Amino acid sequence: MDLIYDFLAQVQASSSVLARWDVVLALLVGSVGGVLIGAIPGVGPAVAIAILLPATFSMDPIVGLTVLLGIYGSSMYGGSIPAILINTPGTAVNALTTYDGYPMTTRGEARRALSLAYSSSFFGGIFSVVCLIFFAPILAKIAPMFGSREIFLAALLGIILVVTAHRKHTLIAAAMACFGIWLNTIGLHPASYSKRYTFDQSWLSGGVNLIVVVLGLFALSQAFTLLHGDDEKVRLTKLKGSFFQGFRELARHPRIAGISATFGVVMGMIPGVGEFTAQFMSYTYAQKSSKRPEDFGHGSSEGLIAAETANNAVPGAAMVPLLALGIPGEALTAMMLSVFYVHNVIPGPQLFQNDMDFVVALYLALLILNVLVVAFLLVATNQLIKVVKIPNRFLGVCILVLSFVGVYSLRNSLTDCIIAAAFGIFGFVMKRMQLPVVPIVLGMVLGGIMEVKLRSAMARVKTPLDFIDRPIAAILFGMIVLVLALHFRRVWLDYKERKTDEWQTSHASTSFPAILSRRRNYILTERGKRLRAKRKTFSRRLTDKD
Amino acid sequence: MSDEITEHPDRPQRGQVLFAALFLICATLLLAAIEDQTKWLKGKDFFAQPRFWPAIGVGGMVLFTALHFWHLPRKPRRLPRWMREADWFQWAESLFWAVLAIGLALWLGPISAAPMVFLVAIIRVTWLYQHWTDRREAKIWASVFEWAGWFLAYVLLVPLIGYLPVTIAFSLILTWRVGYRSRLMMWSAGIFAVTVVLVFKSFLQVKIPGAALYEYFPGALRSFFILNF
Repeated sequence: MDLIYDFLAQVQASSSVLARWDVVLALLVGSVGGVLIGAIPGVGPAVAIAILLPATFSMDPIVGLTVLLGIYGSSMYGGSIPAILINTPGTAVNALTTYDGYPMTTRGEARRALSLAYSSSFFGGIFSVVCLIFFAPILAKIAPMFGSREIFLAALLGIILVVTAHRKHTLIAAAMACFGIWLNTIGLHPASYSKRYTFDQSWLSGGVNLIVVVLGLFALSQAFTLLHGDDEKVRLTKLKGSFFQGFRELARHPRIAGISATFGVVMGMIPGVGEFTAQFMSYTYAQKSSKRPEDFGHGSSEGLIAAETANNAVPGAAMVPLLALGIPGEALTAMMLSVFYVHNVIPGPQLFQNDMDFVVALYLALLILNVLVVAFLLVATNQLIKVVKIPNRFLGVCILVLSFVGVYSLRNSLTDCIIAAAFGIFGFVMKRMQLPVVPIVLGMVLGGIMEVKLRSAMARVKTPLDFIDRPIAAILFGMIVLVLALHFRRVWLDYKERKTDEWQTSHASTSFPAILSRRRNYILTERGKRLRAKRKTFSRRLTDKD
Repeated sequence: MSDEITEHPDRPQRGQVLFAALFLICATLLLAAIEDQTKWLKGKDFFAQPRFWPAIGVGGMVLFTALHFWHLPRKPRRLPRWMREADWFQWAESLFWAVLAIGLALWLGPISAAPMVFLVAIIRVTWLYQHWTDRREAKIWASVFEWAGWFLAYVLLVPLIGYLPVTIAFSLILTWRVGYRSRLMMWSAGIFAVTVVLVFKSFLQVKIPGAALYEYFPGALRSFFILNF
């Protein structure tokens, strides 16, 4: 009971932080901007956050983070619009929405699909924030138990999860994570002041800036991809009537909505896992437990609810490892981490102990944001869908112009722009081949954290077992072993499945001698007998014996 | 290891071998340079050594990219007939690689030569396994340098001519270049450029320096332009 009273007192204190005009403006800009960005296929929150990042450095931490969090949280609402109407996901995480959303549009139920998507997203968003608000005091008690070795192990777990989450690309994802770790080591080693991989170049002695890499990999590469590609013809469906019916329909599926949101919260809290796993798990659960599983993928409302609820429950939960441990779980929160560092606010256990108002204010901002976004969408969807018509290559020009602000305003450096352009080309090549770029960013961020924490942790460790002699360290180590074991089991099963498929679908010509031999036997025995019996009446009896 | 190379849109195989080979070559060169580019300090803990994390990074890059390269579906290149049929050529080729590897090991020492030999092996394998779709893909990668060039030209011109005029000109010319010639698109590009400058430079005051050209403007106009545009 005391916990709740403490918490309510904190909410009261935090609400004063939010009652400033600049925070309110940031909330409005973040929510409306996020929806717009999400609704334009080809932009996405990563591009927008990368571009806006340097602009937020001059703002208060709460204002800057509210804008970025707004874009992060609301882009998925916007992303569902093109996913449902034109079968093109606005953001990558809306891909699953197209499975059931677009078939509903082809049936003439676009309005129903959109209102279901909005209400499910709203439920997911609110559920995750409410969960986290009530967990916050418990987190504040657990977070101080994380010392250097626990944070190192959590970061290591994050990297391993990011790599293993890229099924079919695990090896190249691991190579990219290592590339990120190496990029982070370029420059002066802080502990010994010795140069690492600077090749005696002065521009490398300061290291490679994370934001420059992020802008190159996400914004510039996206601009190059759009400029290189063709425009798509878009035919929009006219929408009439209100969007409130989705809330009533959602209320008829409380079990799917609740469990999907729980998946979203749990997966969001684990670094490196994120929306895709949460969506996949909740969609599979909904399909297995549904009375009509055959409808999934053909316009099932339950499928749409599962996908949209799970992905919107993630942003709030993803702030937990970031705020409580200083460990970002994905590219977007990794970018947000730099806002903290610029303002000298170090996320981690200390933040929960000393600056709980700030943490609660962020959660309250996320809560208000969800309400604002739904209100905006219920009123403005008909006007908003027109942004889908912006031609792709024109969007490429716009992103290139905006990327300049992001890179150049950082340090007014031409070298930064050249590095960003180089990473833009690298990102373009990776996108062409559908290879993952997120492990590079996480490798850079988590690599830096691991280097510092391992150094300080090893100073107090005598034997290898000392490293995991504390309960949380032992649990994290157990989780790492479990994740690796599950991954290798999965690899082995995939290998066996592939071999079985190869065997089952092997071309007839591969066993040509066997087929030839069977054919010869058939001709010599069965077919011969039948033919001879048939011809018996027209010819003289054969002299040879059968 | 399968030998199927498909053009299926879900599994783009074009360029995979080339990308993996180029990345592996760069990673190997970085690994070869580790002794020169990082230090091993005496008396310092193993995990606190300046070389420890670069070794993890570069070592992981080489190891995982090599494994990825090995697992890629690839098909041996069809060599000219005389190469396939001439036994002496295959003997001579094998002998050449062996002599090269032994020569490098004797010249540089076995440890320093190891990355070089590995590098030579990668180049040899890449030459043997590259597909015609790889070469076509490489041309597409090269075509992106044009857009990167536009971006860098924009960056170079802003400190000389000014953020507002260069942004307007850049948006209009690039919109024209990518194929939009209608009045609506040109107006949209112009309005977008002005909006970006007003929001970021005039309103948010992001750090973009005043142009050299603005220095020639008369008194009050000069400082107004330097501050806002």
